[in-house]
Amino acid sequence: MNIGPAELLVGAGGESVGGLDFPIAGEGVAARSPRALFWRRFRQDRVALVSLAFIALLIVVAIAAPLVVKLLGLPGPYVQNPNLTDQFGSPLGPSLAHPFGVDQLGQDVASRVIYGTRVSLEVGIFGTAVATLIGVVVGVLAGFYRGFLDTLLSRLIDVVLSIPILMLGLGIGAACAVRGCVGGAIQPGLGVIIFLIALANWTYVARIVRGLVLSLREREFVQAARALGASDARIMFREILPNLVAPIIVYSTLLIPLNILFEAALSFLGVGIRPPTASWGQMIAAATPIFNTAWWYMTFPGLALLLTVLAFNLLGDGLQDALNPRTAR
Amino acid sequence: MSPIRTFALAVLAGALVLVLAACGSSSNSVSGGSGIKVAKGIQTPLNEKLTGGKRGGTLTVLDHDDFEHIDPGEAYSILDYEVIDATQRPLYSYKPNTFASPSPDMAAGPAQISADGKTITIDIRKGVHFSPPVNREVTSADVAYAIERGANPNVVNPYFSSYFGSLVGAEKADGGPFPGITTPNRDTIVFHLTKPNAAIVIDALVLPLSAPVPEEFAKSYDAKKPTEYGNYQVATGPYMFKSNAAGKVLGVGYQPGKSATLVRNPNWNPATDSRPAYLNQIDIEIGGDTTVIGRQVLEGSDMAQNEAPAQPSVKLAYEKFRDQLEISPGAGDHYIAVDNRQGPFANVNLRKAFWAALDRTAMDKARGGELVTNVMTHFLFPEVPGFAQAGGLAGPRVDYNDYPEGSMAVAAKYMKLAGYPSGSYTGGKTLQVVGSTGSPEAEDAEITNQTLKNLGFRTKFDLVEASAMYSKYCGVPAEAIDACPNVGWAADFGDGQAVLDVPFNGKNILSTGNNNWGLVNNPEINKAMDAAELVVGATARANAWAQIDRKLVAQAVAIPYDWNKQPYIESKDVAGVGDLWNTGSWDYSYTSLK
Amino acid sequence: MTRYIIRRILWGVLLLILVTALMFVLFRILPAGEPARLRAGRNASPRVIAEIRRDLGLNKSLPAQFWIYMKEVFLHFNLGYSYYSSAPVRGLIAERLGATVSLTVGGAIVWLATGLPVGIISALRRRSKLDRASMGAALVLVSAPEYWLGLIALYLFAADIGRLKIFPGAGSYVALASDPWKWLTSLILPWLVLAAGSAAIYARLMRGSLTEVMGEDYIRTARAKGLSERRVVLRHGVRAAINPIMTILALDIGTLIGSAILVEVVFNIPGVGQLAYTAITHADFPIVQGTVLLGALFIVVASIVVDIAYAYLDPRVRYS
Repeated sequence: MNIGPAELLVGAGGESVGGLDFPIAGEGVAARSPRALFWRRFRQDRVALVSLAFIALLIVVAIAAPLVVKLLGLPGPYVQNPNLTDQFGSPLGPSLAHPFGVDQLGQDVASRVIYGTRVSLEVGIFGTAVATLIGVVVGVLAGFYRGFLDTLLSRLIDVVLSIPILMLGLGIGAACAVRGCVGGAIQPGLGVIIFLIALANWTYVARIVRGLVLSLREREFVQAARALGASDARIMFREILPNLVAPIIVYSTLLIPLNILFEAALSFLGVGIRPPTASWGQMIAAATPIFNTAWWYMTFPGLALLLTVLAFNLLGDGLQDALNPRTAR
Repeated sequence: MSPIRTFALAVLAGALVLVLAACGSSSNSVSGGSGIKVAKGIQTPLNEKLTGGKRGGTLTVLDHDDFEHIDPGEAYSILDYEVIDATQRPLYSYKPNTFASPSPDMAAGPAQISADGKTITIDIRKGVHFSPPVNREVTSADVAYAIERGANPNVVNPYFSSYFGSLVGAEKADGGPFPGITTPNRDTIVFHLTKPNAAIVIDALVLPLSAPVPEEFAKSYDAKKPTEYGNYQVATGPYMFKSNAAGKVLGVGYQPGKSATLVRNPNWNPATDSRPAYLNQIDIEIGGDTTVIGRQVLEGSDMAQNEAPAQPSVKLAYEKFRDQLEISPGAGDHYIAVDNRQGPFANVNLRKAFWAALDRTAMDKARGGELVTNVMTHFLFPEVPGFAQAGGLAGPRVDYNDYPEGSMAVAAKYMKLAGYPSGSYTGGKTLQVVGSTGSPEAEDAEITNQTLKNLGFRTKFDLVEASAMYSKYCGVPAEAIDACPNVGWAADFGDGQAVLDVPFNGKNILSTGNNNWGLVNNPEINKAMDAAELVVGATARANAWAQIDRKLVAQAVAIPYDWNKQPYIESKDVAGVGDLWNTGSWDYSYTSLK
Repeated sequence: MTRYIIRRILWGVLLLILVTALMFVLFRILPAGEPARLRAGRNASPRVIAEIRRDLGLNKSLPAQFWIYMKEVFLHFNLGYSYYSSAPVRGLIAERLGATVSLTVGGAIVWLATGLPVGIISALRRRSKLDRASMGAALVLVSAPEYWLGLIALYLFAADIGRLKIFPGAGSYVALASDPWKWLTSLILPWLVLAAGSAAIYARLMRGSLTEVMGEDYIRTARAKGLSERRVVLRHGVRAAINPIMTILALDIGTLIGSAILVEVVFNIPGVGQLAYTAITHADFPIVQGTVLLGALFIVVASIVVDIAYAYLDPRVRYS
């Protein structure tokens, strides 16, 4: 989990993220709202549209996983079958009945890969949402009020960014095993992962939002609202927040694939999702002792990860290009 | 890793060796006297040569796990024993290929027991010297100090009170001298007991605690909390940890988590020792993936792995490198400890239902199948006296024991008896199950978890690192873990007491570091065990402990699944000699390079 | 300028203290392994555990322990002793630092050497097939988990278990001093795996940055002056485009120590990351705290360097 978020800070094109770029309509042409232009550009990006479709498909598969498994004629993901291992306990490879082979317990790999979509999407989307929420709140407060509150929050962000995030994740993950932590409020597995994702990501969102708010608060429409006597809360909600929606969507979409990989890494290291729940990262971990003979168990979950993350990356790229056409590829 | 203790067999094995010599390779397999078969063409410690090796060379040993304690007063697991065995000489020790009575090592001859059974006299061998920087000859005072330090709270010795608790004054001992051990002269040591259990005390003298420790050198280290003697230890065996001039081992001969180096002990006198000690040096490299280690050892040269190889390595060895594989018939067991004290499993019928439902062959298959396991049907191991009387391989014939592949029908019967007429658990409690990470432990834990779910239980399931599993969860009664699927045992020596007492006697429940993981505390069984401790005579003891085993099965105190046959692997140019008693690890004092 | 540097460094030190304090509190509050029990081994009596707790200072109040630890770290640079082996943490980290530095610095060189040229060429040949192909490949590499790539690399190329036995397998790392050739060959696969994702990112960054720079006015001026295209690109274009990338590089190297864990675990390289991983699963807190502190140190130093460089280039920053 290295460079991604930093890339966000500097922007994919190398420029600092600071301002919003609203294109100015040419003379003699009917002006379109920035939002409409954003969507129009996005609709013309075929690659991004295909990715969006793929992700929609993943969401459907995740929600309807039991149905999908049944339709494909596969056994459930938790059905252990010792007959599918040889006399030494080694699992059997891909076959007609089990297209992706089985694992050491005889569980069907294809079935588990399908159920694994649930974990990755839950973690990616929900975890990022929590991080985004926290980041937006902090960023808006810091950017709007400036002064002492801003300094305090910015310094806090500095501290959190100085901690090596994977090590922190490992430590907290290991510490919260079995009974969970904070009096059981954070349970091992999904609870810990979402907590860690929120912890790791809110700073990036906060920094970006803060920068955006800082520039927005000087704009005429905010000054106007203030002159009319609008309260702080009203200005934040009515004037500033709506203009943040597009960039927030873009940047959080860029965070989703990173968080999916983060969960997979933590599960790989043994502190993420616990068996028997199927998580792609945890499956790769379980495959590691036998990977040189049972290649299928390691390969298919990895491919699933690759394709999912790729789709989100392409989608994020497309959204970003739609937002900032100067850096369009 | 399970807390594997030293393992040995008593009188029965003498006959065993003869049986093997007779029926050698005429059948598909070699039988152990207990009926345990080891596959054909595979070397076992029972049929290997102890002499005739080539002198010299360096053996490279690859181990995935690090040692737990290298201090002879603290060591208590097979990995620890592999180095202790080469560097320390306890009063008695086992030759690699025998389960029979141990041979005198630091002792000059067999122990003399007084008429009332409460005094043991042992002569110390002359001419044995400590390694540098101590150098001087070993005396009885060194053996006395070694055992006395077992009571020192700074020395974390796990078995002092179990086996030496009957020495006079042992309860109050704290590291200094106490009346139970006296040394009338420099060549004699005498033990005074409060009760006539001399047999067990003498058996226990094969454990490393009786290996001599020089008091004047060790005292300052033993004053630290915990003791640092292990990092500065001296040796009496053919090898020693490499050390610097001041005798420091840590950082020189032992890098925790990375490596250890054993070199020849310059003060070792071969005339005083039956060990041949062919190798010049042993380099132990710690860490790495077990499967990769297995491959490297099998395909490389001058290497060995001194812990249980991963299942893919065993398969590979069996298929392609059969003469580099050695299998030890009876090594230890694995079972599921369930909380007998509180929670659903306090009900004996639920325990029986669980026993009936578990697919023991699937559990064993995950560990490598029939090559390296036998379905476990009661609690004494094969090769331990009393095994046959307790039911042998098939075990006591009760319905919940008769189906190694599990029987939901029988399980349903016991669920009904427990008060769940539907055959499925409908109570409110969610079970806490804690297993250990790594293969095949994780797989066995998952099979256990699924079995519980099939019985209708809801479970909170987690896997943690093995030492954390023991020291933080399963070994701490207050944590109230309902099921620990990955615990196991190996006997310290060939007596039923060493197998059954600590894990199943209610008086051995400790608030921390507990080894009675199931918190088994059945008054009738406790009484029977206390009485069996004092029984004399090999056959009588075998019968007494066999009866206790049957009681344990009748109460289903734990859920057995695996009797290990320990495999271990070497490179093609290594003439490894395995220890039968130390759950089959390679013995450096007898191993040579081809 | 000097005042800015001093201010920046002081803030960096304060950051380290805050991070250490935060880690200390975190790992004491979270119900992790009980260190005294773990240290005592499986069979310790309660009396032994109590002794060990006293010896390790665990029986003191939390604030007292905290104060002692902070004093030791920042005044004496003593990172404590492993709960498991009593070995000094500083020593354990020091002997493993070489492996991690070899891995991370080598990896950084590989990804710069591959990513930057690809990015430059892609920028100059925008929308060509080459551009699309390389950016596509970059995106795929970015999306794959490193450890998975590592396992696949071993599966295909490892000398002991791979199909094509080209490179040494996992666990074959040796220190540079003992066998340079083996050191080099054992690191090739880990470098490639570590660099794969980052090379892709840097290629994309370079492409974007250079594209933007090439549209600037002064580039047009340079061309108008009659300079060769190559000179224009390299002297003016790349030099300007590389600034933001250097920023990211510094931050990246800072965080690399932490993210090298995965590659170290897969390839069994005895580095600081692997040490941290083992220590965490054993709840060996002194080592965990020490390695996190080391990681934080690298991050803080990297960001100080970046900030000072920026202040040097852009005077406005000094006065913020």
